Amino acid sequence: MRSVFVRHRWEPYLWILPSILLMLVFVVFPIGIVFRLAFSHISRAGVVGGFIGLKNFQDAVSSAAFPQVMLNTAVWVVSVVGLSTLIGFICAMVLNQPFRGRKIARSIMVFPWAASLVIQASVWNYIIKMEYGNLNNILLNLGFLQDPVNWRASYQIEFIWECAIGIIVTIPFVTFTVLSGLQSIDASYYEAATVDGAGFWKKLRHVTIPLVKPSLTVSTVLNIIYVFNSFPIIYTITKGAPANKTDTMVTYLYMLAFYDQRKGPATALSVIGFVILCIASGCYMLITMRKEENL
Amino acid sequence: MKTLPSVSNSRRIILLLILSAIILTAVFCSLTFLRFSSQLYIKRSPNTFVGDEKYQTVRQEVELQLETFRAQGVEGVIDEQVIERVNSKNETTSLVIFTINAANNRSGWDLLRAGLPASALLILILAFSATAWLLTLLSAYSGSRAAGTGAFVLALASFFLIPVVFNRLNLDLARTVDLAQAGGDPGALDRLRPALDSFLFDGSAGDQLDSLLTALKYTVCAGPFLLMIPAFIIICAAVLGACKPLKKTLLRVALYLSVILFSLFILYPFFVMFITAFRSNAETTDMHFLRILPSRWVFSNLTDTLNRGVLRYLVNSLLIAGGATLVAMVCGIPAAYAMARMDFRGKKVYLGFVIMSQMFSPVVLLVGISRLMNTLHLNDTLMGLMFINAAFNQAFAIWLLRGTFVSISSEMEQAACIDGCSVLGAMLRILLPMAAPGIVTTLIFVFINAWNEYTVSTVLISTQANRPITVGITQFSSFNMIEWQYLFAAALLATVPVVILFMLIEKHLAAGLTAGGVKG
Repeated sequence: MRSVFVRHRWEPYLWILPSILLMLVFVVFPIGIVFRLAFSHISRAGVVGGFIGLKNFQDAVSSAAFPQVMLNTAVWVVSVVGLSTLIGFICAMVLNQPFRGRKIARSIMVFPWAASLVIQASVWNYIIKMEYGNLNNILLNLGFLQDPVNWRASYQIEFIWECAIGIIVTIPFVTFTVLSGLQSIDASYYEAATVDGAGFWKKLRHVTIPLVKPSLTVSTVLNIIYVFNSFPIIYTITKGAPANKTDTMVTYLYMLAFYDQRKGPATALSVIGFVILCIASGCYMLITMRKEENL
Repeated sequence: MKTLPSVSNSRRIILLLILSAIILTAVFCSLTFLRFSSQLYIKRSPNTFVGDEKYQTVRQEVELQLETFRAQGVEGVIDEQVIERVNSKNETTSLVIFTINAANNRSGWDLLRAGLPASALLILILAFSATAWLLTLLSAYSGSRAAGTGAFVLALASFFLIPVVFNRLNLDLARTVDLAQAGGDPGALDRLRPALDSFLFDGSAGDQLDSLLTALKYTVCAGPFLLMIPAFIIICAAVLGACKPLKKTLLRVALYLSVILFSLFILYPFFVMFITAFRSNAETTDMHFLRILPSRWVFSNLTDTLNRGVLRYLVNSLLIAGGATLVAMVCGIPAAYAMARMDFRGKKVYLGFVIMSQMFSPVVLLVGISRLMNTLHLNDTLMGLMFINAAFNQAFAIWLLRGTFVSISSEMEQAACIDGCSVLGAMLRILLPMAAPGIVTTLIFVFINAWNEYTVSTVLISTQANRPITVGITQFSSFNMIEWQYLFAAALLATVPVVILFMLIEKHLAAGLTAGGVKG
């Protein structure tokens, strides 16, 4: 390959230079700034002082809301990723069957993926309002209810709603990635399995799941990262209220930095989040690289 | 019904008979369980204890009222409810509430004969089910597949019409009065009056109809429907056990039903967004006369939102997303090209860098980004958002493009290069046209991501005129008042284009995201 396309040794670097510059300035620089700030004293007005070691981390971790926020983050990531992967997998299996209207079903499935999260969160926020929300409206109109139900009676229930909405908007991503994996499976595998007398569950366990595993892994790892970083749903529906009880790490960080003007602890949290993400993306990178080598 | 031929006719007929039987049973169950208990009169008597003087007076008053109703031919029952509370001064207070409930329960048969719009719908359902039955028998007799399909479709249609009847019934009984009193369409109530009178009060209410209807409270028992679901499952399981060949058809039916229900579920929020965007302001926040569909479609909501700044926000979003796409492609195509066609030292490192940066969300880096933008004087500018979006989508763009380039053989370009064409020329003239589908997919994906971006924009943009649409729509939800109709009208304008664009690339995108780097 090298012979035709590369005339000078430095030429490939010229080709990749613009992309490197772009990412260097707008991705790597902010990372550097965050790291510097995390170890510096920052006044409320935003003036950066000297190096103060781990003081910011201490402040962040020892704050009253921190344990609840971390617990919420864990619940949020595990429940959303787990359930959306399960449901998305089932949806992909269904959409992989030939049936009439499959194209329409696929197009419908695109909706939650394509629409902006803020907009979807706003709509759900309206749906579950007690006084005039659409869920109560429909149930009342159909005669299933006599009086409006308060769908968000406590912050725990509100957080469950947020997780449910998170799941709904994440399902399409899993569905489509798994579906692309399913469609690349050669029909002959299934024919062979049928000849051997395998039933539905056996085929699922011994043919489908092993062959879909690569796309499933990639989608799950990407999902963990997206869901961890997901901001608009919680910010639109509860803004973390009451008293950070429904915050996840990302919304808490935002509130700290831009509402409370406590940039020091906020950047420390950023670094913690950053490390968690690095571990996740490290796993992802290993998986993808191994995939590259296999081929 | 592609799989139907694999099942013998008699089996199919059994299935269809069972299906239509279930639907007919559902209809009739619901009919017998409909109960209209209407509250005719309510009297609250505060500071009253059961048995004291005031209680007796009020009780007599209520009984007198009942006599008045009886004189009009309306039978009723007195209910009393006692609420006792301890107030802040530690005194016990008591409230007695007397209600007179009409004993005029109505069965579904009465409704059928009532001549209300709901009755017409009910007749339609019964007609559908009956036709479904006839078609089933016909297909049993002649073995016609079309008849069987028709029966199935009709049975399904009648099933889905049941909630519509309930909605209509609710509308007829209560909402029409509410709407008429709230200044809606009085003609609708006038048309319904005779039918309502004869249905609910045997024609005896006369002039008092309106006040009676206002006080009307009724319950529609939804229990039978919920019972139908386990019944349906049990019958299906029984049939499955009885005759194996039916399994395939039943699975088919289950497949279609679940796809339909899940699609409805997915579309539900978008349906809500759509209808709310066209409601009047009063309707969005008042449950009292809120119907499922807007009582009046206010199409001017769309133009109103556009006039209130949304047009500006849409243009901003277009500029940001368009610019970001352009930057991402200009930087991404050469990089992807180098990755696909050239070998160089540090390629692995670069690949790792790309994959790693794909993982960073701007949210975690918000503080850093806002500081950087301050230094670059790009704070509160469209240009700043453009570059941020481009940078954070760069990795995906390179990833998707590289997959496309790798999947195209390099022979033609090599030939062109040997013929004296420059590398750039070969890429522009040969590779890019061939890779057009992949490039379009990447283009649209980056565009949509930038269009939907919210978090960075809220932090970076402070001037109203520079807001993109995702931030702009929040102006309709201030702390104490949310103008839902405008919020959703704007949301509709922001959603329609991206959903359509996304549908176009969905097929290529999914494969690209997971397998982009693996192909070839």
